[in-house]
Order: sequence, then structure tokens, then C-alpha cells
Amino acid sequence: MRTLAIFAIAGVCLVDLSSCGTTSFAPPPVTPELARTGKGKHGGIAMLREGRALFVHRCIECHTLPAVSSHSAQQWPRLIDEMAGRASLKPAEREAVLAYILAVRTQ
Amino acid sequence: MEPDTSRSGGFLAAGAIRRAPFLVFIFLLSILPAISVFGGVRRFTFLYEANTSARGSLELENWVTWQRATGSDRFDQVDFRHELEYGVTDKFQVSIYLADWFYESDPEHSGFVYSDSAIELIYNLTNPVVDPIGLSIYGELRAGDRLIELESKLIAQKNFGPLILAYNATLEAVWEGSDLAEREGEFSQALGASYELSPRISVGIELLHEFVFPEWRDEEAIRNLFVGPNVSYRHRNWFVTVTALAQATDTDSEPDFQVRTIFGVGL
Repeated sequence: MRTLAIFAIAGVCLVDLSSCGTTSFAPPPVTPELARTGKGKHGGIAMLREGRALFVHRCIECHTLPAVSSHSAQQWPRLIDEMAGRASLKPAEREAVLAYILAVRTQ
Repeated sequence: MEPDTSRSGGFLAAGAIRRAPFLVFIFLLSILPAISVFGGVRRFTFLYEANTSARGSLELENWVTWQRATGSDRFDQVDFRHELEYGVTDKFQVSIYLADWFYESDPEHSGFVYSDSAIELIYNLTNPVVDPIGLSIYGELRAGDRLIELESKLIAQKNFGPLILAYNATLEAVWEGSDLAEREGEFSQALGASYELSPRISVGIELLHEFVFPEWRDEEAIRNLFVGPNVSYRHRNWFVTVTALAQATDTDSEPDFQVRTIFGVGL
């Protein structure tokens, strides 16, 4: 019974933490404003949405999601090139991820 | 899912291992040139994480689990599993357990035993980073000479920056024995936390709580609780994760401790 209680408490904590943590660690959603950032040089809204979806799915296969601000705009292309193979990113998908990251950085 | 820990699989000579898993293995080898990327790292060995493999990725995972019991039912057992994991889509992955087998040693006998092969399906519903909670559903069918098992699982996960919390609720139905006449049900839940010290190394803790129902009855009130640390290391297209669990309850027929290692490599 005590073990069940431990699991129940842990479950409640998990739900509570998740509700607080969502806004803290999730990368920003794609909005029309974000798509306008840089006058569209980082791609359209559909491309940015695809980039974000790939970023939050593929990158966490191997490591937790890094903050977009943790690397410079010059460093990101090289980093994504290095990891594209492991993340199974095709060239267009690689471009979408990079476009999203650079758009967020520019914002 | 979990290699069979009931120590009741069918004893077969090595040569009697079914051909089907090997034919599947040969088929998968033949399509390797078309699919050659990494499936994903595991930070836990007794829990599953909610995220599924990338579309088109293929990974080989080798599991080794050593269990030791020192009570009246003294035994040592080493379980092996060879698993191929393939990402059908970004949200749906299929795994084939080519073979589950084990070596056991107890006062009465010792030897290698083939247990079963299996197919496992996981469908991801929500993402552990951007959604309030990441959820996946899991189904598995295992079949061997003297074993059939159905297993379903709900996988929950949440990522908080470098911290990953995961929870699994599992329901199993097992038919075993020479005529599959012995039935057993099991509900288990597992909880894990893993902290990423660097992009290559994570450390954490896992807790496994089992409710066993022989013949689908609860007269014996069998409850097992295991807890222990884990560590995971990854580099390029491979990873290795190790968990050591100690039994916190006092069930004689269950191991006092068990150590599981999973080595995965992208093909």
C-alpha cells in the first residue's frame, strides 16, 4: 500500500511539474510573427512548423533538447550538419530545422 | 519488453531455435543499404520512453540481464535479447525480438535455454517536450515453444530541460508450460528519472513495482519492488545503458538483485 502511495504521489508531482515546465523548456511555437522575423529569410510558416516538429522529435532521440540560445547563429549550421545523419534528416528537413532555429534566434 | 524472468521457458537444444527469426534477420540485412541511420538512445533499461524512432531508422539492441537470488530458491540467470528496431513513421515503430534466450544455473541444473521471439509495436501520441505530457501506447506478442505472452503498456514521459521523468504501466497475460495450461497475469508499474550530465552521459534511478497473479488470482498477494541507479553513455551511432536493481521486498522466487545492460547501435 505504501508503494502504491509513493507511485501516486510521484504521478501527481509528474503532472504538476509538467504543467509548470511546459512553458519553461519547450521551444517557442511558430507564429505569424516568428515567420515574419528576418523578413522571411528563414522560410515560410509551413517550413518553420516542420522545422520545429522535427527539432522537438528527432533531437531528443539522442540528447535532451538544447536551448536555441546555447549556440550562435554561425555555430548552428555546422552542428546540424554533424547530427543530420544520426537524426535521419533529409536535406530539406535539415533546412527546415535550421530555418526554425535561426528564426527563433533572430526574434 | 522485459525478458522472461519467470525461469519457466521451454528447454530446447540450440539447434532447435526456430528458423523464422533468422529469415527475418537476413531480410533486414538485405535492406540495410536503404536504411542506415540511428534509432535512438535509451536512458532506462526497465522503462520505455515515449518518443519513438525517426522514420526510416534501424537499430540493433542487445540486452543482457543478470539476475541472482540467494534465498531458498537460489539461482543465477543471465537473459539475452537481440532486437531490431525500425521507425516506420516518426510516430510508429516496430521491433522484432529475434531471440530471447537465457543461461541459468541453480542447484538442480544449468544450461542455455531458448525462450521466445516477439514483435513489439509502439505508437507515439504526444511529445514529451512540447505537450503537457508525452504519451505512447505499446503492444507486444511473444511466442515460444512453451510460452505465449500478450503485453500492453502505457508510456508517459516529461522532459524538463536536462531532466527526464518516465512512467510505464504494464499489463501482461502469460500462457506457459508444455501445453500452455499455466496462466499468469501481471500488472507492473515503473518510474524513472534521468539527468543529462552532458550530451553523452546521463545518470538516473529506476523503480519497478510488480503485482503477480498466478492463474489470474491474487491469493498469494505477490508483490515485488525493485529499485536502483542507472547510467547511460552514447557516442556517434551507439549507446550503452546499465541499470542495477535491488529487491526491496522479500520474495524468495525473485532475484535479490539484477543488472541489465542494453547496447544499441544504429545500422
